[in-house]
Amino acid sequence: MAPCAAAAEFPVGLRVLVVDDDATTLKIIEQMSIRCRYRVTTCTEATVALNLLRERKGCFDVVLSDVHMPDMDGYKLLEHVGLEMDLPVIMMSGDSTTSAVMKGIRHGACDYLIKPVREEELRNIWQHVVRKFWNDNKELDNSGSMEDSDRNKWGNDDAEYTSSVADAAEVVKAPKKRSSLKEEDIELESDDPATSKKPRVVWSVELHQQFVSAVNQLGLDKAVPKRILELMNVPGLTRENVASHLQKFRLYLKRLSGVAQQQNGMLNAIPGTIESKLGATGRFDIQALAAAGHVPPETLAALHAELLGHPATHMMSTVDQTTLLQASIQGLKHSHAEHAVAYGQPLVKCHSNIGKNFSPSILTVNDTSSGYGTWPSSNNTIGLVRPNSSVERVGIQNNNMLMDILEHQQSQQHQQKQQLQQQSLIHDQSCSINVQPSCMVVPSQSSDTFQAVNSPASVNQDFSFARNAIIDYSLLSQKSKNSFSASQFPGGDTKARGVLYGYSTPSTCSTSSSNGNRQQLQNSTLTFGAARPLPSLLPMSDRKDPYGFKSGDLLDQVCFRNLGFVGKGTCIPSRFVENEIESSVSDFSQMKVNVDSSGNTRNQEPNFINIPKVSHPIIERYPSRDHSRVFTE
Amino acid sequence: MLGLGADLLWADMNRLLAFLFHQGVLDEQFLQLQQLQDETSPNFVSEVVNIYFHESEKLLRNLRALLMEKEFSDYKKMGIHLNQFMGSSSSIGAKRVRNVCVAFRAATEQNNRAGCLRALEMLEHEYCYLKNKLHELFQIEQQRALAAGVRYPVQN
Repeated sequence: MAPCAAAAEFPVGLRVLVVDDDATTLKIIEQMSIRCRYRVTTCTEATVALNLLRERKGCFDVVLSDVHMPDMDGYKLLEHVGLEMDLPVIMMSGDSTTSAVMKGIRHGACDYLIKPVREEELRNIWQHVVRKFWNDNKELDNSGSMEDSDRNKWGNDDAEYTSSVADAAEVVKAPKKRSSLKEEDIELESDDPATSKKPRVVWSVELHQQFVSAVNQLGLDKAVPKRILELMNVPGLTRENVASHLQKFRLYLKRLSGVAQQQNGMLNAIPGTIESKLGATGRFDIQALAAAGHVPPETLAALHAELLGHPATHMMSTVDQTTLLQASIQGLKHSHAEHAVAYGQPLVKCHSNIGKNFSPSILTVNDTSSGYGTWPSSNNTIGLVRPNSSVERVGIQNNNMLMDILEHQQSQQHQQKQQLQQQSLIHDQSCSINVQPSCMVVPSQSSDTFQAVNSPASVNQDFSFARNAIIDYSLLSQKSKNSFSASQFPGGDTKARGVLYGYSTPSTCSTSSSNGNRQQLQNSTLTFGAARPLPSLLPMSDRKDPYGFKSGDLLDQVCFRNLGFVGKGTCIPSRFVENEIESSVSDFSQMKVNVDSSGNTRNQEPNFINIPKVSHPIIERYPSRDHSRVFTE
Repeated sequence: MLGLGADLLWADMNRLLAFLFHQGVLDEQFLQLQQLQDETSPNFVSEVVNIYFHESEKLLRNLRALLMEKEFSDYKKMGIHLNQFMGSSSSIGAKRVRNVCVAFRAATEQNNRAGCLRALEMLEHEYCYLKNKLHELFQIEQQRALAAGVRYPVQN
């Protein structure tokens, strides 16, 4: 039973079984459930309930059970249901003591409600159903074949390698390689169905270091999963885990060696401080680099941890790669320096592969600057680096790489996240950034826009919207001084259509507008999908609502409400959230476009002016500073 | 004059409710019950309260029977009854009754028979008070409904 495939308005129709010996409570919860439009079944006895569940397997989505019942303890029922039917069970009790709640959790209850149960609490129980459903599916995904599951894994969870490795897996899958890959796949497949619910192994920094040291000890050629497992001596780790990890590692090294040759020239270009220690690859003088004091060891370690934990590798500049190498080398006590460097190398490798336009730019190692506090954490496939002081050392080069990556990713979700993060990068790196126009390859864009992006003015733009937004800005500013005409979207910019910003829905926005725009908003029929209105509108915020428009408050609330939904979305997989954002954004843009068609721009303005003032999560991603700069150019 | 009568009765009902809230006899949960009542279940509150009365009287009889035993020792059983009483009372928002149950349970945990007896007395007293007041409330409601021309089932 798939909740997603259920009735159009989930959680309407949720099938609930309520078990409670107290008839009063039972009646009340029944009525509440009916109010929530659930399909509710009540039971006063636990034994009857169990029989009901057994007879009608698959007929219920969630079980609500009292803790204290005369015929059977609620916890026992909980265990039975968990084992036999694997349904989410929610306990209820008047007992709110911590120990009681803890007992519930220990027995596997999804939630523990304190009586008297309120209707709002009942409205929320669907989250447990969805969560369980998604988690179960993820488990199954992860235990699938190596190639497929890896793609999923990297798409969903914190894999330590970039999706480029998935690409590499395809590339490497030459005929003769295929057989060996297939062998390992079959291995995994045959093992995994039996253990489909096995918890995934998270390759932490320490674990990976153990792995690498084991591999080094054995020698890369001779490293077999069995021996590695023995050497690592980690309880709970299976040979299969090690095998899959080893495979990934080997792929990395392969890519590494390819890139390293390519980068030999680049590495030498870096002023004398960097030497590679690997034979075929470039040389890195990590010590020198560290000694130069550019990168404090803490950030190195943090960076290393970040990189290990997240598929962020291709984001790194060469400078950072060396720092990574240093971190890993330090971790491995220098004796395994070669292998450690080998590990670090993949960063370089992926870097260029992803970029496809990898050009050696001189990167300045900037001093740390803050400002990533509101960096949204992401588990996206591209694997952007998490906010980290050392991230700021990434020059604009990486922004370019990012843009390249973005181009090649067709997923809007990733685009949005990455663009946000990328913009944060941009706005925090001011004049010291050496921008390389040639690195930016955006297929559908004209060179003008590129120049615009690369110009210092654009770079200084604090407005961390999508790159396309910035392009628009420069385009628009060039076109006219009137900021509002910026809302006239340049026709040819098809790219922006893909850009989405999360904002409020038009229906509520329109109803909240009390200045007569209501009609216009509601009549909006434009289908222009881009949310470019936002960038052009934000500069208005600087003018502190010149119109004194009060309906902005309502709009704020609407924004809050919508973003509240986004926030709520944290309890459901990010996919849910993304969809909401996208749909709401396109709606929003419709509203904005309406302004143009109606020509009644003045009245529309105030609504949008107030948006940036609202401090909700999405808006915080777009620090609205210095927008006017673009327009006053 | 039907309309006027209904309004007066409505005012009476509200006054009684406000009084009960103020006294702590009822709490917000009772309001939740009222909110659950709608066109599809117009008598929801009275139905629930009737169930509550029925169950509570059973529990009270059990409790008294237990305590009146010559060799009474089954505090645990009393605790079980009390738990249920507490749960149902809190479900309908009978705050004072529930509080007495809490005290009663403390006495059972201490195996304090005298204390249990006292608690039982108080519990019975509170329960009777609540029942009377709720009956009064339903009567006013019924009269108001009649006055407003709405058919309303007669309460027992």
